[in-house]
Amino acid sequence: MRKKTSDPLAARTRRAFLAQAGGGLGALALAALHADTGLAASDALAQKRPHHEPTAKSVIWCFMEGGPSHMDTFDPKPALEKYAGQPMPESYGRPLTAMPGTAHNTLMPSQRKWARHGDSGLWVSDWYPHVARHVDDLAVIRSCTADGLNHVGSVCQMNTGSILAGRPSMGAWVTYGLGSANRNLPTYVILNDEVRINGDSKNWSAGFLPAAYQGTLFKQEGAPILNLETPGGVGPGQQRGKLDLLAALNRHHADKHPQETELDARLQSYELAYRMQAHAPEAVDITQESEATKKLYGMDEERTALYGRNLLLARRLVERGVRFVQAYCGGWDAHRKIEENHTKWCGVSDKPIAGLLADLKSRGMLDETLVIWGGEFGRTPFNEQGDGRDHNPWGFTIWMAGGGVKGGQTIGTTDELGLRAEQSPYHVHDIHATILHLAGLNHLDLTYFHNGRSERATINGGKLINEVLA
Amino acid sequence: MGNVDSMSVRDCSEPALVEVQLMCKRFGSLGFCLVIAAGPTGLSAATAKARADSPFTEHQESHWAFQPVTTPAVPDAPRGNAIDAFVAERLGERGIAPGPRADKVTLIRRATFDLHGLPPTPEEVRAFLADESPSAFARAVDRLLSSPRYGERWARHWLDLARYAESEGFKSDETRPNAWRYRDYVIDSLNADKPYDRFVLEQIAGDELWPGSAAARIGTGFNRHYADESNAAILVQRRQEILLDITDTVGAVFLGLTYGCAKCHDHKFDPILQADYYRLQAFFTNVATDDEIHLMSPEQREERRRRQAEWELATRDIRAQMDALLDEKRAEAYQTQVNRRSPETQEAFGKPESERTMYERLLFQQHMWQMRYHNDAKLANALVDEAKERFRALEAQLAEFDHLKPEELPVGIGIREMGAEAPKTHILSLANYAAPLNEVEPGFLTLLDPEPATYSPALGGRSSGRRTALAKWLANPVNPLPARVMVNRLWHYHFGQGIVRTPSDFGLMGERPTHPQLLDWLASEFMRHGWSLKHLHRLIMLSETYRQTSSFREDAAEADPFNRLLWRFPPQRLEGEVIRDSMLSVAGRLNNQVGGPSVYPALPEGAAEPRGGWDVPEQQHEQDRRSVYVFVRRNSRYPMLESFDMPDTHESCARRATTTTAPQALALLNSEHTLGWARGLARRVLEEAGADRNRQIQAGFQLAYSRAPDAWEKDTALTFLDTQSKIIAGRAAAGEALYVPDTFPEAMSLEEAAAVVDFCHMLLNSNEFVYMN
Repeated sequence: MRKKTSDPLAARTRRAFLAQAGGGLGALALAALHADTGLAASDALAQKRPHHEPTAKSVIWCFMEGGPSHMDTFDPKPALEKYAGQPMPESYGRPLTAMPGTAHNTLMPSQRKWARHGDSGLWVSDWYPHVARHVDDLAVIRSCTADGLNHVGSVCQMNTGSILAGRPSMGAWVTYGLGSANRNLPTYVILNDEVRINGDSKNWSAGFLPAAYQGTLFKQEGAPILNLETPGGVGPGQQRGKLDLLAALNRHHADKHPQETELDARLQSYELAYRMQAHAPEAVDITQESEATKKLYGMDEERTALYGRNLLLARRLVERGVRFVQAYCGGWDAHRKIEENHTKWCGVSDKPIAGLLADLKSRGMLDETLVIWGGEFGRTPFNEQGDGRDHNPWGFTIWMAGGGVKGGQTIGTTDELGLRAEQSPYHVHDIHATILHLAGLNHLDLTYFHNGRSERATINGGKLINEVLA
Repeated sequence: MGNVDSMSVRDCSEPALVEVQLMCKRFGSLGFCLVIAAGPTGLSAATAKARADSPFTEHQESHWAFQPVTTPAVPDAPRGNAIDAFVAERLGERGIAPGPRADKVTLIRRATFDLHGLPPTPEEVRAFLADESPSAFARAVDRLLSSPRYGERWARHWLDLARYAESEGFKSDETRPNAWRYRDYVIDSLNADKPYDRFVLEQIAGDELWPGSAAARIGTGFNRHYADESNAAILVQRRQEILLDITDTVGAVFLGLTYGCAKCHDHKFDPILQADYYRLQAFFTNVATDDEIHLMSPEQREERRRRQAEWELATRDIRAQMDALLDEKRAEAYQTQVNRRSPETQEAFGKPESERTMYERLLFQQHMWQMRYHNDAKLANALVDEAKERFRALEAQLAEFDHLKPEELPVGIGIREMGAEAPKTHILSLANYAAPLNEVEPGFLTLLDPEPATYSPALGGRSSGRRTALAKWLANPVNPLPARVMVNRLWHYHFGQGIVRTPSDFGLMGERPTHPQLLDWLASEFMRHGWSLKHLHRLIMLSETYRQTSSFREDAAEADPFNRLLWRFPPQRLEGEVIRDSMLSVAGRLNNQVGGPSVYPALPEGAAEPRGGWDVPEQQHEQDRRSVYVFVRRNSRYPMLESFDMPDTHESCARRATTTTAPQALALLNSEHTLGWARGLARRVLEEAGADRNRQIQAGFQLAYSRAPDAWEKDTALTFLDTQSKIIAGRAAAGEALYVPDTFPEAMSLEEAAAVVDFCHMLLNSNEFVYMN
């Protein structure tokens, strides 16, 4: 009774379709199909050609939320010893700070022990002993600047370019620019620890881009994606029976409405959903990993177990073609008791990040994966409440490693105290332009026409940080 | 840099010329047609300023949208009304014949989705099919327009434009009390067919024009839907950000212009000077929030005052003890907030109120608004040990007097001013609040009226009257933009595409109207008929253009592949709200209660509770309200609606995206919500059809699609019910959980009932259900 249709997909049974879709082949076939039928317009996630050959297929962004202190981790400031207990010299002025008047407080030297590491001899404090072993892979950008003073605006800017909500996040731009490399999984994934992220979902929002480009926050327990699991009251055979009926009804309907590509797209979205149901749980199933690998990420220790799991998950995801993973960590907002706070969060993140770098390298994946470490801003050289540091968007450190990054170098400087970027300051937009470049996208060409303007990820700014490039 | 707050540094920093080149390059690479913009217009202001007397190019000045609205003669037409005549003329030029009429079932479904956002009930379909008179459809449209469901549906369109949300946004995303009254106001206005010019006047200056009308004052809430930061340290900056938001929104919504592009520099393409941006902003420089628009009569308020006094007297001691515990914390909290301000602001706050300038008063109001989030409940949480225990005990004592306490006063929120004297407005360099340039006076588009606007104080000197002047300009038939913009929006919502396909961009970078004469004819017709939206709905829906089939035609598609000329009705995916409401409706669960505070339907399993709260009512019936009543939390849209493209509420949205994604499929396939609706539909099917499978299929199709199944469908569904029952039988025998309707005929087994739920579930998931033809 089934009618013949002109749709090559419909002619096949769903099962044959699924069998074929096992590997990356399904996605390829789908992309080709879209190109042929002109469906690409309605298929937001079809693969697109990059602007140039990418050096990073994927990005793993270790987001140290709350703002880690650069002068206690990667940017030593011996001059702080000299001025310890005094306010900043007048020449520095008194910037308006997040907490009232802290710029009048006395300078506070770092209590860390510092050493040079690797062949490159980069300075790393004793808070990051494991990461220190990988300095020859790191490009440490010490002259970052941002515009926001408070967390919500700054986390938002580090993700979207603007301190005000409403713009697409970097992961959304990359997804928009490149499409999906594995339709069985979301293209842009957010992993969180137990600390709530400032501003929540607007940090992985698609903004004015279509909703298909927004990030997916993976749940920590159970199925990683909302509505992924077939509900308990529906058996597997039963679900298959339902989907077969649905496909039949939809095909019959499509026969009556030829040339409606949107209908095809929607028919296929159910196939994609079905495949996601099959593949996403596998992707997050870390029981498949060896004990040695888990240990490498610190999963055998309580304090590193959660972040280690998230970074191991990140590796598994990029291995499967996920383009953009952000793994949030912390808690770094040390307005007081920075020793206590940063000891904790450095401890939480050190081994997992080092493990990630080592694991990616041993699998030959570091060359094609961009790893980023950093927060939404750094911290101030002057104290807050005697033993803490305030927010510092005027000069702070992030580092990049992996796909296309020239390791073993520092880029730019902050001033003697670590207050402001001095040599080669790089704004958040420059960081974004560089991430896009490594992913194969030119930030000037990656545009979306919105409200009368060709919008881009870097708004009106952005220049490539050339020194980063290998 | 010294004391310059880094937050003030804006991003627009490229030299203008470079940006124009970049834009041209980018458009080129995207294949955009630059015929309009690449000429002299492309280098707009810079070159233009060289011209002797006008800051604008000839190209800008002659742009269609700035020309007066005309009333074109209606061409001769073989069928239909004036709309059809204009449409037929354009089709004729390309040798395309208009489409035949859609069948009646399609038509009643289309009209009902369109005006109500719901499918027609089987009774409504039957009645329409039975009415064979030529005016049957006109009667149906009238019936739909006179139902309160109409306002609920069309309010959602306006709320998209108004960036409506009920929370502050930013980090904490606190609930903004009483914001929902604006939503009800829009619904009421639409249902009453409030003339659009009056509606516009209320949006902009309802408080100045009709101070005695709570509704008109709540209408000013349009300019209150900006995101706000209760934790902002720099009030001066926050205030400026709000003004930018208001200016962008007003420019886009009422004028259909991308004013926002001109906040840092003269518009690169359109004749909007940077000064024009701040001239528009100057109408709003004096606005303050109004959180106390009273909705009770003076007598009711007096009665409430009396009861309040009674409660206060009874609880005086308890409250005094509570105050004693909190006073210090209150003072501390207040001081901490003051200390965060810049020195100038702190100084202003130190002055007695009478000595503060208007600007300082406005800042102080903002400061006090922030203080509301450092309320007693929060401060009490910060108490420790004994004090905390004591406070909790006192709270319990106080609660014993709750029976005496009058209910919260019903109030609305909106905009007002605190005096006639407005602070100065400056052009801002790169829109930076700390970099003022020349001062400007309130004014309209220089192209249309270069003089400053004339206005005089309103409300006996309590308001500047500035907004009244703007409102009157926006509602003035002579203004070439507002009527055109609004009729185009209506057209856009009816057909899924506007006559101008960029409904909030009528500028040179926007699309040109496909039917310029029709647009003008509609605009003048709109104004001639008292700016009645319902009149326009009728005109549009009774046209043959609207009533034609959505069927594809090879020959027509060859001549006009994107159906710009409307040789068929464009099929459309239903919006998320319509999908949810329709499922609730066919499940027999839709709660049609009108208006009131928003509701929080349950979140999908595993979804995190949004910051700011999500208070799910216990009663399912309370959750089953229409989607327009679902609470809009700015940072966390309701997941199902968000996945079906409900727009971000951080800015005005004139045209929703329509995406098709796997998460949508997962939501409809696996969520308990959809399964619950499928059970509801199954229950109705079984109530109607009993245990007879043929009749069940018949009823399912009738309820979901308003039509009978064809032979193939019947056959497929029969096979499905049979095999699916067998698949489920094993699970039923093993005592596993099954989805079955609340009640089903005794003659049916569990597995048979579960199979009907599955059948209904797939009807709800099907394309026929979520697409309108």
